Amino acid sequence: VLNRRCVEAAVMTGLALNCSINKKSLFDRKHYFYADLPAGYQITQQRVPIAVNGSLSYSLCKDNKMSQMVTKTVRIKQIQLEQDSGKSLHDDTRNQTLVDLNRAGVGLMEVVMEPDMCCGEEAAAAVRELQLILQTLGSSQAVMAEGQLRVDANVSVHHPGEPYGVRTEVKNINSIRFLAKAVDYEIQRQIEELENGGTILNETRAFDSKLGCTVPMRDKEGKQDYRFMPEPNLPPLILYDAKSLPANMNHQQVVNIDWINERLPDLPSVKRAKLVERYGILPEHSFALLNEDGLTEFFENVVKQTRMKPKKVIGWILNVLLSYLKQHSLTVKESPVSSVLMADLLNLLEKKEISSTAAKQVLAELWKGEGKTPLEIVKEKKLELIQDQEELEQICQAVIDGQENE
Amino acid sequence: QVSAALKEGHVSPRELCRRCLALIKSTRFLNAYITVAEETALRQAEESEERYKRGQPLGVLDGIPVAVKDNFNTAGIETTCASNMLKGYISPYNATVVQKLLDQGAVLLGKTNLDEFAMGSGSTDGVFGPVRNPWSYSRQYKEKSVPKSHSEDKESNWVITGGSSGGSAAAVSSFTCFAALGSDTGGSTRNPAAHCGVVGLKPTYGLISRHGLIPLVNSMDVPGILTRCVDDAAVVLGSLAGHDPKDSTTVQDNFKPFELPDLPDVSKLCIGIPKEYQAPGLSSEILALWSKAADLFKNAGAKVTEVSLPHTRYSIVCYHVLCTAEVASNMARFDGLEYGHRSEMNRSTESMYAATRREGFNDVVRGRILAGNYFLLKQNYENYFIKAQKVRRLIASDFVKVFGSGVDVLLTPTTLSHAVPYLEFIKEDNRTRSAQDDILTQAANMAGLPAINVPTALSERGLPIGLQFIGRSFQEKQLLTVAKWFEKQVKFPMIQLEEVKRHNHDVFQHQKSASFS
Repeated sequence: VLNRRCVEAAVMTGLALNCSINKKSLFDRKHYFYADLPAGYQITQQRVPIAVNGSLSYSLCKDNKMSQMVTKTVRIKQIQLEQDSGKSLHDDTRNQTLVDLNRAGVGLMEVVMEPDMCCGEEAAAAVRELQLILQTLGSSQAVMAEGQLRVDANVSVHHPGEPYGVRTEVKNINSIRFLAKAVDYEIQRQIEELENGGTILNETRAFDSKLGCTVPMRDKEGKQDYRFMPEPNLPPLILYDAKSLPANMNHQQVVNIDWINERLPDLPSVKRAKLVERYGILPEHSFALLNEDGLTEFFENVVKQTRMKPKKVIGWILNVLLSYLKQHSLTVKESPVSSVLMADLLNLLEKKEISSTAAKQVLAELWKGEGKTPLEIVKEKKLELIQDQEELEQICQAVIDGQENE
Repeated sequence: QVSAALKEGHVSPRELCRRCLALIKSTRFLNAYITVAEETALRQAEESEERYKRGQPLGVLDGIPVAVKDNFNTAGIETTCASNMLKGYISPYNATVVQKLLDQGAVLLGKTNLDEFAMGSGSTDGVFGPVRNPWSYSRQYKEKSVPKSHSEDKESNWVITGGSSGGSAAAVSSFTCFAALGSDTGGSTRNPAAHCGVVGLKPTYGLISRHGLIPLVNSMDVPGILTRCVDDAAVVLGSLAGHDPKDSTTVQDNFKPFELPDLPDVSKLCIGIPKEYQAPGLSSEILALWSKAADLFKNAGAKVTEVSLPHTRYSIVCYHVLCTAEVASNMARFDGLEYGHRSEMNRSTESMYAATRREGFNDVVRGRILAGNYFLLKQNYENYFIKAQKVRRLIASDFVKVFGSGVDVLLTPTTLSHAVPYLEFIKEDNRTRSAQDDILTQAANMAGLPAINVPTALSERGLPIGLQFIGRSFQEKQLLTVAKWFEKQVKFPMIQLEEVKRHNHDVFQHQKSASFS
């Protein structure tokens, strides 16, 4: 029985990726024998998938400079719904394989991209953007380490002007960082292989994160004939839009593409643009904000509660707060410094009651999370800026006098 | 009638259940049941009795003993599909149709025998042995049969039930239950119904849920209903039909259970006689009966016309391609890992699979899997599978055209001849037999149409012959109305079995048509 939520998630994702949604899509059985496939076949959409021909735009820093961002596009070939298999855990020491069937049959959405990317960095950026989109839509939490987002990279090399070379498929990539590494390693490996007069086999390789290289995977099959057959228990999936929806159709029974489209949340690219416009921050700032879960909210909350200009706030958020969090491997949610405290601190700074050096000291104290307010810490450590001209003169004089004495 | 008797307290559900169980025991030589669920049945009967005492029966089916073909999942009761692959398998859930029967208070006596995985037309190829047609032991048959030699044991002359729902048909025919579930993919309910002299209904595809019916051909399988009279079939249909969210191939429309008119009228109907159904091998007896039946309708004022379903002769081949392809797919799940038989071989996963499947499946099943996989290979897919799909569409269109031209119901034979003796039947292999025997019933599965076998008369040898009516999609009411009229006309005789007489029951006696409604 088809899971409605899966269909909705696929439609949402298709719309977000500028795809054409196929109003009629079909399900097929893909047959092969493997311990983690209890039915002996996987239900997938081989003939007519649910969405096709979309695009995904992502940004790269040119020459590693955040200030020079380049926008690239990768075409989306299709999105298809299919079933997950179980999980095989190979226990080589005891020469056995354990099969976990808990996730077998769960719905998956496979997004197939065209080979429009040219290096690990591009692949990573594209997948990162996809990840953000999926999270924004709610289609998936898309955490790679948890297997919620699985990425297989197909890599090939060719001389300019010549047709694409033989590709290999690289699996077992568990993070965006490893994706970039795996792709770059594979490109290098293929180039070396070809330059040494060898050939590239159309094979599946696994990425070994410890060694940073790809190795041929255990041979699952020779040339497999999957004996595709239409899935007889799932009738064709019919989706409607406002025009094609029959008048007396029960709303609960159908999936209406237009209805979903109207309710799509702002995609990351839109969110970024809005942040730039509203707060006058730079584009690369908006990227950094969206890149960290919860950081945008934090930033906006601080801005709300302080008179400091957002353009200045952003520096404190991205350079100071974020680096603290990274140093201590904390998420924004786990930050001991709340947006309220941060705002208080920045207000003191704005009112010129403390210097920025002092502010950093206060922040270090706040970081301990002992529940003191910025004001309390300032008073405690006597970090107030002295405004009184005379007092300042006296101190300076004292210092000069002190110097003379040496 | 039994239901009324239960209501009025003339007989108690427990008593009824006990008598059926006892009859099952004394007809064990029929081998109709694989599993008899004595304890649970008695418990269900007790619960039913409580309800009747309180005056709160769940419905007409409350307390009625039923049997279910062993390819339907029954929670807590072994489900084997007559295969080594599933010997000892106890399902954790009830098939939807089973659940519906139980929810109505029916008493599940046990699981009936079949051809392994419902592949076959004789109910002879299951691992629990063949099912014997109760009529083999009837007075009617014994009187007419001439022993070939005086030493010939009457035991060896028994005839088959037909298949693949032979166990269910035999169970109903021998009075051990009042209704039984079968399955029908190519005629598997109607064929044994004809041979055993009972009513066998194949509903429209999509009307009754297949959830829990271990699939043979997903696009053609339907649960079948076997009863002793048409009214009973209507009652059972009423409790089973309707959309099931667990089966995406059931239609969403609301189903309204119906009652058949007491005095059906066929004078305004048009009965079609498809000429292609005068198939080679059709016995002259059946041909004559068919003709007489047509006359019956004519005399009643109905319009009887000859029609043509030109693609009929391709249906068997088409069926073979599509059936084996789906079988290959559906059987892929039996790998010994999760449930069912697992071979001792453990050198590698693949070798375990191979050994398990070789040990678990019989020749028939294995043959169909191999054929099906062949047809699904990339290089063959277009030529076989796709072509067969197209032919299927043509076959279905034949019916659409005919029904569109004013014909209400088609009248055809159900089988080529009456039941043959087992020893003769096994002279040919399963595939040959299936190809021969399915020819008259198969097309209805291709087109998804409802069809019903109505026992018509006894052959010269004292064995039942049935005729088939094929109706329009979802027009079961009209189909069953015609069938009921016909049934009343032919007055098919009741089987005279010693064992049944021994367990004589007022209720059984009263019934001319042995119905329960």
